[in-house]
Amino acid sequence: MRKPSVSDETLNRILKYLGILLLGFGVILLAIQFSDFWSWILNAIKAVIIPLSLAYIGALILYPLIKYLEKKGIGPRGFSLGLVFILAVGLIFSAFYFFTPLIIEEIKNFFADDFPVIVDYINNDLREEFILGTDIYDRIYNYISETNVIADTVDQFVPNLIKAVSSALLPILTSVAILPILLIFYLNDYEVINERLRAIVPKKHEKNAAELGSRLNKTVGAYLRGQLLLMIVLGAVATIVYKIIGLKYYFLFGFLVGVTNIIPYFGLIIAAVPPIIYTFIATSGPGPLLVLLVNVVLQFFEGNIFQPLIMSHQLSIHPIVIIISILFFGSLFGPLGVIFASPIAASIRVIYQFFRDLRKEIEQNKLNEAKGS
Amino acid sequence: MIKSNRPRIYSKYEINYIVFLYTMVLFVPLILVFTYVFNIEYTFDLNILLLALLAIDVFITLIGVIFLRIKRDTLKRNVKINYQNEFYYLVIISVFGLLGFIVLYQYFFGITEYIPSIFVLLLVIFVYTLIKLGQKYFNLRYQRKI
Repeated sequence: MRKPSVSDETLNRILKYLGILLLGFGVILLAIQFSDFWSWILNAIKAVIIPLSLAYIGALILYPLIKYLEKKGIGPRGFSLGLVFILAVGLIFSAFYFFTPLIIEEIKNFFADDFPVIVDYINNDLREEFILGTDIYDRIYNYISETNVIADTVDQFVPNLIKAVSSALLPILTSVAILPILLIFYLNDYEVINERLRAIVPKKHEKNAAELGSRLNKTVGAYLRGQLLLMIVLGAVATIVYKIIGLKYYFLFGFLVGVTNIIPYFGLIIAAVPPIIYTFIATSGPGPLLVLLVNVVLQFFEGNIFQPLIMSHQLSIHPIVIIISILFFGSLFGPLGVIFASPIAASIRVIYQFFRDLRKEIEQNKLNEAKGS
Repeated sequence: MIKSNRPRIYSKYEINYIVFLYTMVLFVPLILVFTYVFNIEYTFDLNILLLALLAIDVFITLIGVIFLRIKRDTLKRNVKINYQNEFYYLVIISVFGLLGFIVLYQYFFGITEYIPSIFVLLLVIFVYTLIKLGQKYFNLRYQRKI
């Protein structure tokens, strides 16, 4: 008898996957039919998931500190948690208390001293110094005046911005208000909650799920802590260097470097644009070339010293992977996707490595069994 | 006797000693770099501030050395394969220390034209010191992927 080319087992598997695929399509079709209902449900989920994710991120950052205190004999959990929480809140509060007035003052000074100069420069001197020539400048100027494109864009942009801010304000305020409470409860019962979550997983996969969860916590936690430290260190270094070279709004631009560093590779480039433009227009202070040089040196130090040191080699993800994930998650989730692209990429890498290790382990076990028999 | 190629592993006592003394050497520039950003030099007389910082530095160094000597036996028993985190700490304070030395130079001499040359010179000294320290005491292999 001729042996069938496809075994029953493979056929069963194909049928199973086909069934799942059809069921998936069915669910999507149903979801499309009741889009209002789903958007209602999704909004409810979003309202829960944002503070919950923030609490998870906060817990990943703070939990090692609590564990460290407990290891040193500072306990029980309530006490060590209280200490860490007071420290964290104190740090955030003092950062706001000391830095916000400085940054606000610099912004005020900019609008009082430099903004009129910039406007004057655009109106009077830009035509003569335009890099593409006065003809092109006149054409652009005429186009802008005829089509009224700037006024139209501003007219559209401002109401949209107000609408977006007002719609996002309530969820943000709710998240900020709920976050400390969620964080306290989560950190207080960290092990119990994780244990309960683990109990949801079927017994057969419990061990693997626990291992994967612990690896993910370790990696994402280390990544977030590293990123936070990197932002602080680079922000501080940029502020100091900007002041040394005599840049006027060094606090503002340094702060920008720290904040934008949340986006790997692109952050420093984005942060370099405003000071370079400013030095082009400003009449005093360092030239744009010096600012560009400083930013190139900072980028070099960030990529070759700080990033490998602080983020450690375990978390090193190839730059191409990071750039692709920034583009992909950025287009999926917007600015939030850009910010969280790297931790998501790190998580995917951990999951991939875990399953690769698991497969190797299974193969090794099979080999050992075969040898034994 | 055949000389072993295996690197000597230092105890936490030696490492803590190096880290502490390194921090104390950079103490004045480290403080100065942050006072510079917040323009504190305009509030105090700079010479008095520097003298006070030096006095505090010497005082903390003495206390720290005595403390390390007391804890010597306990720390000598603690050994790690390598001291990566301690080394990373040294790198980070070196960056701020380097900038602190530039600030110090600016305070004393004020000639901004020479700052890039001094920066490069200091950078070479710091990098060389860190590489040598890392190889000898912190047991780091720069070429090896961890």
